[in-house]
Amino acid sequence: MNIVVNGTAHAIESGPLTPLLDVLREELEITGPKAGCHQGGCGACTVLVDGEPRRSCLLPVAYADGAEITTVEGLGTPESLAPIQQAFVHHYAAQCGFCTSGMLLAAQAYLDGGGTDDPEAIQEALGGHVCRCTGYAKIVDAVAAAARGESFDLTQTAVGKYTTVTTGGAT
Amino acid sequence: MKVVGARIPRYDGVAHVTGRTTYVDDVRVPGMLWAKALRSPHHHAAITKLDTRPAAELPGVHAVITWEDVPLLEYGHLSALGIPADEPLLAKDDVRYKGQPIALVAAESEELAAEAVERIEIEFEERPALLDVRQAFDPEAPKIHQWGNWYPHFEGGMDRRQIRKGDVAKAFEQADVIVQGVYRPAAIEHAPLETQVCLVVPEPNGRLTIYSCTQALYFSLGVVAAHLQVPLNKLKIVGGTTGGGFGGKVDTATETMTSLLAMKAGRPVKWRWTREEEFLCSSTRAPWHMEIADAVTKDGWILGRKMLTLHDSGAYARFSPYGLTKHSFHHTGAYTIPNLEFDGYVVFTNRVPTTAMRGFGVTSVSFAVETHMSRIADVLDLDPYEIRLRNANRIGDTSPNGIVYTDPSTVPTIQAIAEATGHELSAEFRTMTNEPRTGEWLPEHLVAQLGNPEEH
Amino acid sequence: MAKHRGKGIAAIEYPTGMNQNGDPSQCWIKVKPDGRIDVFAGTADIGNGSKTIQAQIVAETIGVPYDWITYDNSNTDSSPVCTGTFASRATFVAGKAAEKAALQVKAKILEIAGKELEIDPADLEIIDGEVVAKGAPQTRMSISDVAAAATWGHGELITGTGAQLKPYAAIVDPETGRVDSPPHSAISYAACAAEVEVDDETGEVRVLRLQQCYDVGRAINPTQVEGQIEGGAMMGLGLGVLENCYPYYPSVEHRGGAFGSYLAPGMEEMPQIDTILIENPSQDGPYGAKGIGEMANNPQPPAIAAAVYDAIGVWITELPITPERVLRALEEKAAGKHEPRREGKKVVFDEELSVNTVSSGGIRFEVPA
Repeated sequence: MNIVVNGTAHAIESGPLTPLLDVLREELEITGPKAGCHQGGCGACTVLVDGEPRRSCLLPVAYADGAEITTVEGLGTPESLAPIQQAFVHHYAAQCGFCTSGMLLAAQAYLDGGGTDDPEAIQEALGGHVCRCTGYAKIVDAVAAAARGESFDLTQTAVGKYTTVTTGGAT
Repeated sequence: MKVVGARIPRYDGVAHVTGRTTYVDDVRVPGMLWAKALRSPHHHAAITKLDTRPAAELPGVHAVITWEDVPLLEYGHLSALGIPADEPLLAKDDVRYKGQPIALVAAESEELAAEAVERIEIEFEERPALLDVRQAFDPEAPKIHQWGNWYPHFEGGMDRRQIRKGDVAKAFEQADVIVQGVYRPAAIEHAPLETQVCLVVPEPNGRLTIYSCTQALYFSLGVVAAHLQVPLNKLKIVGGTTGGGFGGKVDTATETMTSLLAMKAGRPVKWRWTREEEFLCSSTRAPWHMEIADAVTKDGWILGRKMLTLHDSGAYARFSPYGLTKHSFHHTGAYTIPNLEFDGYVVFTNRVPTTAMRGFGVTSVSFAVETHMSRIADVLDLDPYEIRLRNANRIGDTSPNGIVYTDPSTVPTIQAIAEATGHELSAEFRTMTNEPRTGEWLPEHLVAQLGNPEEH
Repeated sequence: MAKHRGKGIAAIEYPTGMNQNGDPSQCWIKVKPDGRIDVFAGTADIGNGSKTIQAQIVAETIGVPYDWITYDNSNTDSSPVCTGTFASRATFVAGKAAEKAALQVKAKILEIAGKELEIDPADLEIIDGEVVAKGAPQTRMSISDVAAAATWGHGELITGTGAQLKPYAAIVDPETGRVDSPPHSAISYAACAAEVEVDDETGEVRVLRLQQCYDVGRAINPTQVEGQIEGGAMMGLGLGVLENCYPYYPSVEHRGGAFGSYLAPGMEEMPQIDTILIENPSQDGPYGAKGIGEMANNPQPPAIAAAVYDAIGVWITELPITPERVLRALEEKAAGKHEPRREGKKVVFDEELSVNTVSSGGIRFEVPA
């Protein structure tokens, strides 16, 4: 079997029923996709297979034979971030970061499909992805900003929408 | 330049969005073995036979460990706080919860390790399980812990955490109304996206490098060193980057056992819990049982509180005595209640041991106290904001254990929410501050509890 | 059959640092020959942002750009002691250790600069990476030059160490719970208003809006603290209406072993969240900060429980407030069985849950009348 990952062709030695996630992480040592559950339940392992978001932990590699696969490493590099990556930094959409690569690829697929900044549409597109840290608000904000084609200043995060009251407390 | 107060992007933000952040499971070392555990299938049982030889004989298996391999089997994680040890690292004579680790195997692959675990010969004699904390004290309750069914080692040899303040009998006598309720928040999974995982590499100089997802590097260092009975310089914990924790990774759940496997095998060993293990075998937030009775006046002053808390600790103590003490210190919430009688017990049950989770000890009592407060307001037909402001702690008020509040923000936070929601407060509550009590805000029942914030 | 809306409120407090203290954090810093700063601490970053916060505190305290800071919390060989990232202590306790270490570094930089410039260090200050003479800003020397001078000229290593420890507050009277010193470092406060919609046919509770106010002491990084508060709000929502390890507690059966069978909040459960930050500085925290990471999931469950009562007139005090519990409570209410028992001046709720009902002679909750 052969797969193309982030533009590079690989001949695969693992058996045909090996989950794509394990091929990527253990055979090819591409560790961006995360093993959050191996049950298809969290979305941390999501990669693009011929442009479609797929839970790589449930996908036998045989089903991806000949496919073009994009992992988070293929979205952009630290020197040249993709707009969705910039949006995640600018909007503080990653905290512990473990769900982030799967979220980014689902978001990229949503944007590639012409997704808009409508929060409900974003929630539906990314709905099966679990994040335990952020409460999702800043993730939705980031995807919406990227959908609007905004540019991002990465020297500071998005200006908050919250009120701050400074009191002259004694201590 | 102002850096503090600025919206600086995360230090690790670019690494996170490019997949370059290295979590434990991303570390690659040559020659690595995989670990799997034999876990208890029973909630409570005696172990009558344990033979690991059939697992050890399987080709590709490099180490098997049981309790006999642990230099110090029981170590109290909070021994510094006077909380003694009760939990064996690996089960010895009995198992007290479903999922309790009994033996571990290190093998060439995860599948082979699982197959070896299946080959371990083990027999049990099932025992009745205790599951309801309310029945733990009953004469006919099964005895499930060497210390009895509840923790007996609080200061002074007491079997409960007590708070006593003021004169509760008098408060209940003076009350117009006594409101009683029971509050039972559930056990919760931490459910971090990264499951418990570690990788231990034996180094040529005799040290162990322990790649760990711990929330507490030095805490884990101390725990592993104690179980292994080695000085701290024999171990190097590598970590600091954790894929979510929420309190569950304060437990040193994998590091010691994996270290023992790595030492025995002389090879690097990784133990990565499956999501199912993370859900079913890792510690949880505790379920709590709380009963509150408040002595209140018709206009909404809380004169006194009686409270009973049963903290479901699960099978072993872990951090529960600490959590219950913290709970007791905060059982008046954001309010000043001068007369208190609190009794709290750490109760053992045959479920996975509970541990710290976000808001440890206080999440429970916040739910109980605040729901109770809303009920009192409803019973007395009072405004739920105003009854809170009336009793809000103020500068100079004292906590349940007599500490003076120097700058509490109960008043401004409630006022801010009233404004945000458009909830109309009457003038006296709108203009209230957290300044020391005077006039109508210093009724007789609050005089004796006052302290001096200057002496704090 | 209809959907009913309701509102509820809760106000809470929460301590910063381990209860009873005794939990040290330490930090050490060294300066490279070009003035760039290496910070070593053992504070894990679990998503809470320890790395960012401590780097900000060091940059601010010394007076250098943020991107001059390298932060290393990667191992116990190079880092000093940190009790850990829990108990809302990372910003407060570990951040204070970083501030103290940075103050030492700053003093050493000024001392070396003083020798180079032949000015009393007390008359020097650091502004944007440069040592400047107070009142004579044309007399200045970059920290890069100071660090080079220390390394190649004075044969010195510019370092600083800091440790933060509030001693253990012992319980001196176990009968009353009295302690010999304050058992907390600071206390943070919050209030939360919840708005819910309850479907009396399905029993489903939907949280529509959470309006929250937190006293954070000082927002070292406002976006980070907002992130903590939003994440906490969703966890609190989970506590209130979704999550339960043991669906039939105290039974241990029917535990969920997968994300599909354990109900962690998902994106579709997101309510509108509005947050107000109050900055009422703490005495001991770095730049007045308090720790709010944990308490961020505490006020929502009681605010939601009160809102459910406001919506449908039943108190559900076993969490989470599931459709099953809502429907059972509504049935009880319709049958006239949900009212508290009134006896004299006592109003007694939830008797069926009490130890007085469930325990057989083991433990009682006695309440004087």
